[in-house]
Amino acid sequence: SDEFLEVLPTGSLADAQVGTKDGIEGLLIGTYSALNGVFGNRFEGPNHWVTGSIMGGEANKGTDAGDYSSINPIQRYEIDPTSGDINQLWLGRFEGVSRANAVLAALANATDVTAEDAARIGGEARMLRAHFYFDLKKHFNSVPVFDETVEAVDVVTVPNTTEVYPQIEADLQFAYDNLPSTTDAGRVNKWAAAALMGKAKLYQNKFAEAKTWFDDVIANGVTPSGEKYALLDNYAAIFNAEFDNNAEAIFDVESANDTGSTQNANYFDDLNYPYNTGPDGPGNCCGFFQPSISLGNSFRTSAGLPLLDDSFNDPANQVADNFTFSQIDGGDEAAFVEDAGPLDPRIDHSIGRKGIPYLDWPGVDGVHPGSAWIRSFPYAGPYSPKKYVYYQSQENSLTDGSSWTRGYALMNYTIIRYADVLLMAAEAEIEAGTLDKALEYVNLVRARAAKAEFWVKDADGTDAANYDIAEYTSFPDKAYATAAVRFERKLELSGEGHAFFDLVRWGIAADYLNSYLAFEGSKLVTKFGGASFTAGKSEYYPIPQTQIDIQGSDVLTQNPGY
Amino acid sequence: NPETSLTKFELANAVQSTVTGTVTDATGAPLPGANVLVKGTTNGTQTDFDGNFTIEAASDATLIFSYLGFQTQEVAVNGQSTVNATMAEDAAALDEVIVTGYATETKRETTAAVSIVKAEELAAIPSGNIEQQLQGRVAGVTVLTNGQVGSSSQIRVRGFGAFGGNEPLYIVDGVPTSNTDFINPADVESTSILKDAAAASIYGARAANGVVVFTTKQGSRSNRKTRMTIDISGGVSDPNVGGAPEQLNPQEMAEWTHRAYENNAAATGTAVQYSHPQYGTNATPRFPDYLHADGQNGVFEADVDLAQIRANYEADPANVFLIRPNLAGTNWFKEITRIAPVSRVSLGFDGGNESGRYYMGISAQNQAGILLNNDFARYTARFNSEWDIAPWLSIGENFQVTYRSVVGGFGGEGGIGGADDESVILSAYRMPTIIPVRDEFGSFASTRASGFNNPRNPVRQLTLNDQDDTGYNIGGFGNLYLLLKPIDGLTLRSSLGGGYNNSHFVNYGFRYLGDSEPQASNSFSEGSNYSFNWTFTNTFTYEKLFGKHKVKLFGGVEALNTGAGRFINGNGINPFSTDLDFQSLSVVQSPNVNSGQFKGVNFSSTFGKLDYNFDERYYLTGVIRRDGSSRFGGNNRYGTFPAASAAWRVISEPFMQDQDFMSDLKFRAGWGQMGNSNNVDPNNQYSLFASNRGRTFYPIGGQNSGADEGFAQSRIGNPDAKWETSTTINVGLDAAFFNDKLEFQIDWWKKDTEDLLYNVPLAGVTGNFAAAPSVNIASMANSGLDILVAGRGNFTEDFSYDVTVTAGFLKNEITALAPGIDFFDGRGYRGIQATRNAVGQPISTFFGYNVIGYFNSQAEVDSSPAQDGKGLGRFRYEDVNGDGAITPDDRTFLGSAVPDVTGGSTINLRYKNIEMEMFWFYSIGNELFNQSKWFTDFFGTFEGSAKGRAAFNSWTPELGNNAAAPIWESASNLSTSGAGNSWYVEKGDYLRLQRLAFTYSFDDNIIDKMGISKLKIGFSANNIWTLTKYSGLDPGIGGGADTNFGIDVGNYPVSPSYLFNLQIGL
Repeated sequence: SDEFLEVLPTGSLADAQVGTKDGIEGLLIGTYSALNGVFGNRFEGPNHWVTGSIMGGEANKGTDAGDYSSINPIQRYEIDPTSGDINQLWLGRFEGVSRANAVLAALANATDVTAEDAARIGGEARMLRAHFYFDLKKHFNSVPVFDETVEAVDVVTVPNTTEVYPQIEADLQFAYDNLPSTTDAGRVNKWAAAALMGKAKLYQNKFAEAKTWFDDVIANGVTPSGEKYALLDNYAAIFNAEFDNNAEAIFDVESANDTGSTQNANYFDDLNYPYNTGPDGPGNCCGFFQPSISLGNSFRTSAGLPLLDDSFNDPANQVADNFTFSQIDGGDEAAFVEDAGPLDPRIDHSIGRKGIPYLDWPGVDGVHPGSAWIRSFPYAGPYSPKKYVYYQSQENSLTDGSSWTRGYALMNYTIIRYADVLLMAAEAEIEAGTLDKALEYVNLVRARAAKAEFWVKDADGTDAANYDIAEYTSFPDKAYATAAVRFERKLELSGEGHAFFDLVRWGIAADYLNSYLAFEGSKLVTKFGGASFTAGKSEYYPIPQTQIDIQGSDVLTQNPGY
Repeated sequence: NPETSLTKFELANAVQSTVTGTVTDATGAPLPGANVLVKGTTNGTQTDFDGNFTIEAASDATLIFSYLGFQTQEVAVNGQSTVNATMAEDAAALDEVIVTGYATETKRETTAAVSIVKAEELAAIPSGNIEQQLQGRVAGVTVLTNGQVGSSSQIRVRGFGAFGGNEPLYIVDGVPTSNTDFINPADVESTSILKDAAAASIYGARAANGVVVFTTKQGSRSNRKTRMTIDISGGVSDPNVGGAPEQLNPQEMAEWTHRAYENNAAATGTAVQYSHPQYGTNATPRFPDYLHADGQNGVFEADVDLAQIRANYEADPANVFLIRPNLAGTNWFKEITRIAPVSRVSLGFDGGNESGRYYMGISAQNQAGILLNNDFARYTARFNSEWDIAPWLSIGENFQVTYRSVVGGFGGEGGIGGADDESVILSAYRMPTIIPVRDEFGSFASTRASGFNNPRNPVRQLTLNDQDDTGYNIGGFGNLYLLLKPIDGLTLRSSLGGGYNNSHFVNYGFRYLGDSEPQASNSFSEGSNYSFNWTFTNTFTYEKLFGKHKVKLFGGVEALNTGAGRFINGNGINPFSTDLDFQSLSVVQSPNVNSGQFKGVNFSSTFGKLDYNFDERYYLTGVIRRDGSSRFGGNNRYGTFPAASAAWRVISEPFMQDQDFMSDLKFRAGWGQMGNSNNVDPNNQYSLFASNRGRTFYPIGGQNSGADEGFAQSRIGNPDAKWETSTTINVGLDAAFFNDKLEFQIDWWKKDTEDLLYNVPLAGVTGNFAAAPSVNIASMANSGLDILVAGRGNFTEDFSYDVTVTAGFLKNEITALAPGIDFFDGRGYRGIQATRNAVGQPISTFFGYNVIGYFNSQAEVDSSPAQDGKGLGRFRYEDVNGDGAITPDDRTFLGSAVPDVTGGSTINLRYKNIEMEMFWFYSIGNELFNQSKWFTDFFGTFEGSAKGRAAFNSWTPELGNNAAAPIWESASNLSTSGAGNSWYVEKGDYLRLQRLAFTYSFDDNIIDKMGISKLKIGFSANNIWTLTKYSGLDPGIGGGADTNFGIDVGNYPVSPSYLFNLQIGL
């Protein structure tokens, strides 16, 4: 009989169940869950360690040539539209869009949600949707734009030809208007929406509007717990799980252990640790995401200020590194002597260097041992990642140790932090002609970095290197100010996934990255020899071929050059 | 009444008298139900319960006696009124019986394509699962099993009908089941493989992939003492270490590492850097005294303070290693393998009386895998019985309980997926030979010593992590049935069958800090599940002879559930103590427990079959079945599957009677439709939301421990999905010559699957967390030719032979996918995309760049089309589209994993009491994708890990295009190890001597004195010789998914085994 042939599904919910207030709250949490990706591919991570940092010249893949070799052509700007990783990034972000739309569609039909709840839920969903779209826009430039009112069958026919920012701005405006200031620590509030709006304006070079939004954030912004936005005193604390949801965190991705899945910890960074450290260092694996030699050199200071004339890669200014010493100049690595010249102290919060203490890890004799922690020294160079790395004291308490590697850390990745807002605001001020205000913002950031009590110390309590940092005394002109702000972003935000997108929006990606490749390629010959950035093409990632195959080339137009 | 008129016609031609008699078996026990037929007529009867019969026959007539399992016998009446017959049991005659699960018929009658496998062939080799024995025995059935003990097999009957779920339907004693690993092969009486629609359509919606019918043993209705058979096998498997691919020894590895540095420098025009942490900085490599000494790498005696290191070791033994190089070289494959014992003891008891019969079988099989700590055990007990309550009523049951345990196995789907796992076998390929198994303190040594990349010591993995694991399954399977014979010719049968399964596993993982990527935590997991499935079948059979017209009408109804149950499992890390008696989910940290339930799929079916034959010359069969399934929505819940077939037994024609050249000639033809829905999720019709801890949870309160539950759409429903329908045509010919000394069975077939259920890939913009529904959109075509040739005869009175050769030719092609979609790709490994499933190509076709050679000179590099990473000694790809640049569009189809023809040959020679049996298996015309070469044949893939001897033939200007691998260097890009290409694709043809056996049967007069009825001893050698050009361990490579098989990432090889066998009958 028909009754016998109706077997209802188990372990899942039907439309009616998720259409209630509680169900919609669950859908909203599901949307937050998409912030750090859905499918477990490391390219879906919110920190864009490949597409933002490596591609921005701050790091290279690390490890050896054969490991995760599909990244090799990407870091050489030879990316192919069939790249599975890029497709995963696309899938992860559009899954986020789809989940936000499911919340909004359910909200429109719900009968048991109060107006107040509806405003908050709708605001959160639209803020998240704006974030996912912003990410898509930064990577792919041309993406299909649709909202919750477009039926599922019609979504696949939306071409990638419409402008993306109007919907992003509308969503963020709605979020700003409807979200509360204080809420659960894991949720977005109205100030997160405001900061993201300012960033979206900046990406469109709408500097005046951007300034308005940043001014509001700087003047009035508070964290979900009601704390006024501020820079932490200790730069390293930003990347320490112990201080999650701090006053500097404006929009971040929550991370937790004991959740039944390491995907709720920072799974996207699980490879990004020194290699073969055993229990004397963090992670288990795999030696990826090695900071570039060029980034190391960028921390050289002169009179406490960075070398804004880009002379940091000149032989005289290069930071002594054990790779150049042994691999290029033929020295015995054991005889390597650390650089004695003046350095921005943030270098040793950002880069794992031989001879410098590595957080609280024993290392070898208390310091990073150099090539012993590098998987393929000739291939990938001298440095280890250091920023989003957990401490020995946090093992299994602020990490998730339940899977194959120990490298699931719990510090929240900060999509927007207050220092970032200050530096973006400085750009807007420069365009407005208020160089003094820009100077003030930049110096705020530098002053924090200059707090000597938080510099990396050797075991004897002395500074681990010759740190020398000063505030700018003035910005004599717009060009100087622009160079200073851009350089400050590199020093302050390196390894946080912003660099590539900054270079593209500033319109200097081809020049900057080709000169980076020339320098880095002279050191890491196997990795970068012959690579180049193609202006007019490499600024954006290709639309995944898989998606064009599915939707048709009449719907999805490939980006130029691919 | 036509019968009357025919009888009258016969009466007019002969003098009739009444003949009576008794039919007995060789022991004198009467055989009830034996057929007695007057030769050349349709006049027949059956013996009663005492074996007695009465028949009207002419005084010069000949009576034909036949009985299932006995040789047919002809006895002339010669004017006598009493004719007795003593029937001899005959295995050959048994073969003629086809058990379809619902009914039995003889091969003589069938209009369909059916193959039978002899019981003793199935029992011969103590494989884990019975279906593995079908390999090569049946034309058109391919069986791929790797060498893991207790692993499942990939079985395909006549090709690949769908993109997944191509397993055949198994019927055990009339009860359908999805797997048969619980069966003891010694309990099986007969195996029939229903290959075409004419045979299989009676199973309708589940028959599209063929049906394999196992019938277990039963006693006989005869007054005799209980017989007992004892079957003991024992022996060993040999890992065949000598046949494993060889790795570079320590000296060679060091030299070739330096060679790579030189090539790197040449490629980039820079100075050579000899930078390996162990081999020194000079052009000539040297070896250190210690690869690793408590944190120091590549050091000499003078550099280390051994006393301090020992003190450190004693303080922290898990984290202090002292590793000397093993300059002789560690043979890792040898270290992870062993000579593996196997034993099987089966006892069978059968007996009966005039009103009942029974069979009891018990068995124990213990089998070690060639890999350390890979073990299989199975204990079974079976009891079958049937009792006659009244002349018109019998009841019976078949029941089995099985304990089955597999530990240390790997690979999905019961081990089938092992071929494409990065397993311990791959670890053995990748572990440098210079590293010893253990260090100076006796700890396992590994890649904590720097410079060797990330392989893990596979001996440690197998020893520490597998030796204490447990995993077992206890299940019951069987049925209870009722047979009613209310009137002559009508049989009603009611059967209630099912199975219950309970399984449990415990898995320990132990902290180990000696790998470069160490296992930092102790881990523990445990879980169990149960499931219950049932089938309720009610059928009738009406059989009647109307003169020369024989009609058999069969019909029935069936309801079943494929299995409902629940599961629970959990895992956690770092219990306070790793004492096995201590650990449980209650004491681990970060416990994570999951559970769930499943309800299975319900089917409700009605079916009927009409068999008609005229004078045993012209046969017609029609079958129809209507199935309803809970897998589909109300719109398309039911499917109807008809089949029709016919046969012409030419040999029975009058014009064939006066010759003795041919002893059988029959033409068969059939058409029919069958269904399949295996590849459809039971929830396909529903749109659903679900939570997933990793993918929908979020710590919304900002907490660092625990996350809040969220939801997301998990499935997009398709209420309109319906059955996949395979339409098959089969044309066959059975012929026998010279009194059956030479037999042919040839079938040409074609199977077109329409409305193929295909998960149309969802566009990313719609969100891809939700599972795409299966939609009836694709189609696939299979066609082939099944050939069986058998010859038998005597050289001398004492010397006879029996030879069978089978061949199954197969052509498979995807004929359509979704509109606008021409292909979908299989899974990639390490960035290498190996397979593409494309319209116009067979399933799982290898796809990639076509290597036309290497770049042999700088001029060639400069003048060839643009190609990323091109350079001297690297792969040179074909510019397929001729656009002057190598782009993804230049990828092309490189070969197919689907063999053109597979088959086997059995050769039996009998001389007096000695019998020799040989069984060969062959597979021709397929390619394999040897991805293990990605790890071992490029210096730059996990640089420092062990490399293969391909290094010796890596590219040099002198070798040019004769090189076996690209230039030895670190670079990894599209032109080296970064893309799938034809270099990985190898011929997969092979011929294997699967079995060579000698058996000695003791003479009757000897065993009589011993008071026993049978005594045989035998010796067999299995898988002892393989002819192949394939360079991997074993060319028999299946895979977990039909859309991505034939990829070898370190397959578990089938290995030689040697067995002793003793059979005793009491």
